[in-house]
Amino acid sequence: MTQRPPRDPSVVLDLSRRKGEPRSVVRESLFVAGRAAAPYVTTTRIALARLGRDRLARTGALVLACLALVAVFADLLASDRPLVCRWHGAVYVLPAVVQPEAMRGLDCAAMRSDAAPGDWMLAPLVAHGPVTPGGEGQALLAPASPGHPFGTDAEGRDLFARVVHGARTALGLGLLASLVLVAIGVVAGALAGFAGGLVDALVSRAVESLTAIPTLVLVLVVAALVPHPTTATLLWTIALTRWTELSRLVRGEVLKALGEDYVTAARALGASPVRVLLRHVMPNAIGPALVAAAFGIASVVLLEAAVDFLHPGSLDTMSSWGEAMGEARTQGGAWWLIVFPGLALVATLASLNLVGEAVRDALDPKLRGVGHEGGGA
Amino acid sequence: MLRYAIRRVLWAIPTLLATSLVLFFVTTLAPDPAPGEDDPLTDEARRSRFVDLPRFVNQNPQDVVSRSRDAVARIAAPSTGSFPAGTDDDRARAERTLQRLGGAALPYVLPAFEALAPEARGRVAMALAPVAERMGLPGRDALAQPGSAVVFWTRFWDDRALDFTRTAVDRAVTRLIEHGSDLRESDLVALDTFALPDIVRAMGTTADRVALQRLTRIAHHAVGRGPELEADATATEARRAVADWQEWWFVHATDFVALDGADRAIAFVTETRYGKWLKRAAGGQLGVSAIDGEPIADKLLERAPVTLLVCGLAMLASWSLAVPLGALAAWRRGRAVDAATAAAMFVLYATPTFAVAELLRRATAGHAVEGARVALAVAALTVGSVATLSRWQRTAMLEVVRQDYIRTAFAKGVPGWRVLVVHALRNALLPSVTLAGLHLPALLGGDFVVEEVFGLPGVGYETLRAIEAHDAPWLMAVVLASAVAVTLGLVASDLAYGTLDPRVREVLVRRQEGKAA
Repeated sequence: MTQRPPRDPSVVLDLSRRKGEPRSVVRESLFVAGRAAAPYVTTTRIALARLGRDRLARTGALVLACLALVAVFADLLASDRPLVCRWHGAVYVLPAVVQPEAMRGLDCAAMRSDAAPGDWMLAPLVAHGPVTPGGEGQALLAPASPGHPFGTDAEGRDLFARVVHGARTALGLGLLASLVLVAIGVVAGALAGFAGGLVDALVSRAVESLTAIPTLVLVLVVAALVPHPTTATLLWTIALTRWTELSRLVRGEVLKALGEDYVTAARALGASPVRVLLRHVMPNAIGPALVAAAFGIASVVLLEAAVDFLHPGSLDTMSSWGEAMGEARTQGGAWWLIVFPGLALVATLASLNLVGEAVRDALDPKLRGVGHEGGGA
Repeated sequence: MLRYAIRRVLWAIPTLLATSLVLFFVTTLAPDPAPGEDDPLTDEARRSRFVDLPRFVNQNPQDVVSRSRDAVARIAAPSTGSFPAGTDDDRARAERTLQRLGGAALPYVLPAFEALAPEARGRVAMALAPVAERMGLPGRDALAQPGSAVVFWTRFWDDRALDFTRTAVDRAVTRLIEHGSDLRESDLVALDTFALPDIVRAMGTTADRVALQRLTRIAHHAVGRGPELEADATATEARRAVADWQEWWFVHATDFVALDGADRAIAFVTETRYGKWLKRAAGGQLGVSAIDGEPIADKLLERAPVTLLVCGLAMLASWSLAVPLGALAAWRRGRAVDAATAAAMFVLYATPTFAVAELLRRATAGHAVEGARVALAVAALTVGSVATLSRWQRTAMLEVVRQDYIRTAFAKGVPGWRVLVVHALRNALLPSVTLAGLHLPALLGGDFVVEEVFGLPGVGYETLRAIEAHDAPWLMAVVLASAVAVTLGLVASDLAYGTLDPRVREVLVRRQEGKAA
């Protein structure tokens, strides 16, 4: 961007909103201006401008950012270890992370009852971890209380801690699996579209056959057959079966681009096939890939929750929303076991869908200058 | 159009093959029983899962000829005491193998006696003594001494070689089924395992309980395993016994059958893990449940009606909700109705089916009567799918309302409702046919969830029990069955779309003519 010579007159993206105009309209008007703020109108710039003006997308992104923060700092929000403490004369900062050995077998409650004079501690927001507590006198299936903001489950685990740590499972797994499936989908789709012939036929068969297998059923079966199913098993199963939709989209984009004049021109100028593919064709696939990534995370989160709901404990997750809800199936009256993890799940899925749809609409040239029509939500 | 239909159906075959490769890969994920030292149980487990066969190409398929030759060579090997050939342990194992192969090995072992050293010949002849015992041959005392044992078997082969031909066995088995008598039964017992191919085949074709009783008795006598039917066995028991024998035969056939000519060429592909697995699956032989020993195919048929009912009703209900909703939203796009449905559908879209089902179950707990569970399950599944479907419908409708013919209809004064129903909706419904096919995998996944939550005894419910019990045959059968069902659904929806939409039909026909020209 910086190497290009500045052009005059500059082309400026007009982001102002006129009275009565639908919210998502971005006027890509060109006008001469002395400002050098946005010298070029590029697809990315337009898309970003549209995204910035989409209030729903902003809300979704905000919720996602909060969830991501919760996932990253889960240990600060809910943990049975103190954040900072002075214990028998030594000061520990984040002992659970920094010195797990020194604090083995100790939690906040034990430290409080066994404190030496001069000891102090700063406990997390909720002083309970997501795993089964060892101590006696735990409140089993207790409704919300100051100590347990969301209540506890049948084993006395704090539900708030489970929800907070469940965010880590859901988002971490979703992000990883989605990255893998986007990588597979883009490569397979690009190869199929660019190489054609046998490769295309093979990829198309693979796509069709994988589409025919219900993913939830397959994931359940794989988790049952593999000797020690881990979250990695789930990740690979989903990534290896869910890339099909994206690869179909990428293939379509590649085929469309190959028919464009600029590709012919690049070829005529002597560009190598690799350069044509990477420089001229593949940028078209960025949009579908981004959208697929957002929806991919959503579908992985949903699948993970469904698997853990139907068969709690089948995966070695530390804590999962689906698992908490699945374990609650036998606990008739305990509504909080369903509602809190369920709300977290719905919020995640909803905001992922919002962002995914907003990205899709922002990148769709057909919608440029048109109202928010194809979104549906 | 017919050519298109045939082409579409044929294209489903490579797809199904590719699917089978995926599923085969999944089966190999399950842990293989480790090779055991002389442990019959793990040996059997390994064989029944074809662990020892190569995955895709078997360059050296084993049959009764190669197995018996190998066993004889190991028995005949001079005693060196060094590992492995020639040790007593190895020799004893080879003797057991030869005894297991039994009568089927005789046509390859006895004529080859001449080629063996006299001492080795005696050892082999003695090793065959339990076989003679099983066959009930007269004069078995001769088998106590190596010299007389060789004479015994040589004489036996001179007398009886003609009985050991496939046509003779076939005739004997046919006669046994038509007019069973103890004499004819003992004739077949005297052929030992050599008669097994025809006996197992006959089990599948005859329904006569007495004949089945005799056949299972002979087979049991020859191999010392497997169910023997009682005279008063029920039809179910008989079917189970036959299924058990066929399953056993599928695994062990190469112990008793010689592969020659074309069979041998085919065995390069079929005597492999994938070949065996695919053959079993394609033949509808889905194996036996690890939970209760019931044949998977029977169990699947028994459970399928519930699943089909729930899926079918949910499909019907969700489409009949989604079509008006989507059409209305597109018709009044940008208005309050559109915004309201969009918001409602958005919430539904983000709510997992299992959460809906669980909340519904809790809300109705205590009030629900037995029959209402199906209705509740259908309702939960409908709520789960209606959001996706109505959005598809809205998109399809949006395409249509932008068309010129809609404007034309308005311009010539057609009333609004008539434009909506007759001109717009009819056209907007067509893409839904394809989408109905695409929606099948999600519908099946959701069906498993609601069956489990509401405790409906369908395929999904049974699958969850199978997951808890690690019942691999059932799980593979379910994935296979759902993949086949979805593929068939996709083909059907494609064909229906081609038939219903004149534009598509025309394009297809034109494309074919263009290709022909």
